[in-house]
Amino acid sequence: MSGRRTWALFRRVVQEIRRDRRSVALLFVAPILIIGLLTFILREGQAPSVAAVVVNEAGPPGVVLANALAASLADEGGTATVVADLATARAAVRDATASLAVVLPAGLGTRDSPAITILTNGLDPAGEGSRVAAAQRSLVRAVGGLTGTSVPTIEHTTLYGSPSADPMANFAPAIVGFFAYFFVYLLTGVSFLRERTGGTLERLMATPVARGEVVAGYTLGFGLFATVQVALLMTWAIPSVHVPAVGPLPDFWLGLGIPIAGSPLLAFLVVLVAALGAVSLGIFLSTFARTELQIIQFIPLVIVPQVLLSGVLFPVANLPEVVRPFVAFMPLTYAVEGLRQVFVAGADLATPTLQFDLAVLAVVAVFFATIASLTIRRDVV
Amino acid sequence: MNCVPGGRDLPALAQTGEVAAMVVPAAPSAEEGRESAAAIRAAGLVKTFGPIRAVDDVSVDLTPGRIYGLLGPNGSGKTTLIRLLLGLTRATQGRAEVLGVPVPSRAVLARIGYMTQSDGIYPALTVGENARFFAATYGVRGGDAVGEALGLVGLADRVGSVAGTLSGGQRRRLSLACALVHRPPVLFLDEPTVGIDPLLRVEFWAHFRVLADAGATIVVSSHVMDEADRCDELLFIRSGRVIARGTGADIRAQTGTDDLEQAFLRLGGDVEATR
Repeated sequence: MSGRRTWALFRRVVQEIRRDRRSVALLFVAPILIIGLLTFILREGQAPSVAAVVVNEAGPPGVVLANALAASLADEGGTATVVADLATARAAVRDATASLAVVLPAGLGTRDSPAITILTNGLDPAGEGSRVAAAQRSLVRAVGGLTGTSVPTIEHTTLYGSPSADPMANFAPAIVGFFAYFFVYLLTGVSFLRERTGGTLERLMATPVARGEVVAGYTLGFGLFATVQVALLMTWAIPSVHVPAVGPLPDFWLGLGIPIAGSPLLAFLVVLVAALGAVSLGIFLSTFARTELQIIQFIPLVIVPQVLLSGVLFPVANLPEVVRPFVAFMPLTYAVEGLRQVFVAGADLATPTLQFDLAVLAVVAVFFATIASLTIRRDVV
Repeated sequence: MNCVPGGRDLPALAQTGEVAAMVVPAAPSAEEGRESAAAIRAAGLVKTFGPIRAVDDVSVDLTPGRIYGLLGPNGSGKTTLIRLLLGLTRATQGRAEVLGVPVPSRAVLARIGYMTQSDGIYPALTVGENARFFAATYGVRGGDAVGEALGLVGLADRVGSVAGTLSGGQRRRLSLACALVHRPPVLFLDEPTVGIDPLLRVEFWAHFRVLADAGATIVVSSHVMDEADRCDELLFIRSGRVIARGTGADIRAQTGTDDLEQAFLRLGGDVEATR
């Protein structure tokens, strides 16, 4: 293994892709657009009209807050009705006569004020997420209107399942992992196919370059693009910067502000290891393709099942028993799980689940790198 | 079709003026003192693809400083023979050595230049990037070798041009430059002049001659008989076998015809050979 030859291959891959403006656009612009669009659809899609029922266990301060909440919700076309007790509220949420219940606890407004609870039924996490967010905003406004009251903590619980205030919190990590994997696969597959069919691989094999150096060079080259892609994607997804109104321009938020509990660097590491596996997968599958169209045709075969089975769209726990055994064989499963661990659960390198996910992804990358280098045929050893 | 231009007296040489600065291949170091030692040696080489014997019992010794013409029709096994000698494919039977090293050998590839039938260059890279890339794969450092190889093929002023925008002839030149960038003592050129104009063809042969005079062993495959007289020695190939070997004059004398196409036919070649 020669470092200089690998470096030469790395540089060449980068030079080639850099000149291919459309591929660069595909790599960087497409995921940013799509994650932005998804956020928009999931968060803002149904203009959330909230029909809240309020359980007041807090006495007079609760009445004031309930009225303020009703006024605040009414601004957005919602309602807030005070009901007698928690059981009535739960029934209303269960029957979907109310979209959520707000429980104002006894002791509200005191120094150790317990948290306000928002209860939803948990069946439609995305839709509920947006309504809970709307209710939270209204609550904060309502509390803010009451002089001398600090904003209490707001908790969200559900009748079924587990709640998430922002539907993107759970979805974004999967999307970040998926795009890095998908685009790296696509670009490597097509690039290497060109190498095979364009006569340059034959030419390259007549130089002292070793197969491992070719795979390493490609991995470094596309690894670099994956790095830049993920860095851009996370810069767009995680922060949320408020840009104040300037002249006729209204104020707006830059960035999606998707919450991340763990370290973004760690999330980055997970995506990168997954993407390295995708480089070798692309090289490997290019053996079985004769044209670039065929690389595209592999998508339903190697990418779509991973989307369906790795928890990008559907929680793995909800999948039918029959397909469960396949879940373990999808590299993306470990990328998505690892990323959710970091984004949602705030996992660090000491977390066993994350350690396992990273280890599996690394093994997958090494495995595919090995079989990819075996597909680069040359009898020279 | 059969007009054979004079072999060595090349007007292009004077015109390009680059010949003086041409690449001088390193002499085969291990063979010093054995002037006549074969640079390329094959013994009983056989390569079969299923029932087809693409290369059928080829044994040759090729000495340094000479240009060998591998002549035969399409599909006669020229490219397969070259790939066997390079070690890009493994022989079904027999052995081959290049510069005294049995192939396949990754090390000896550093001392072989190979110009493929397709251009084998990266269309998205510039001329300079292509040449530098191949130089790096051969472990050649520095821009001198790259500049020299590009100057040799007359592309020195196109260093920054993207290879995909070059004309067909320019791409062939770049392909040749990439094969020469490490100053190889052994050079395999697979149909180097296919699809290029007569003027460039004359220039190419001038380059090959200068390299051979400096000690390189050059194997040029062609299915065009009118290039035959530019070679020092000819190997007629048909159905994977070497059916005749010798200088153009030898073969003419042997077959009693002045026309190499006719000679090929009399030696048992078929009419396809001339097309």
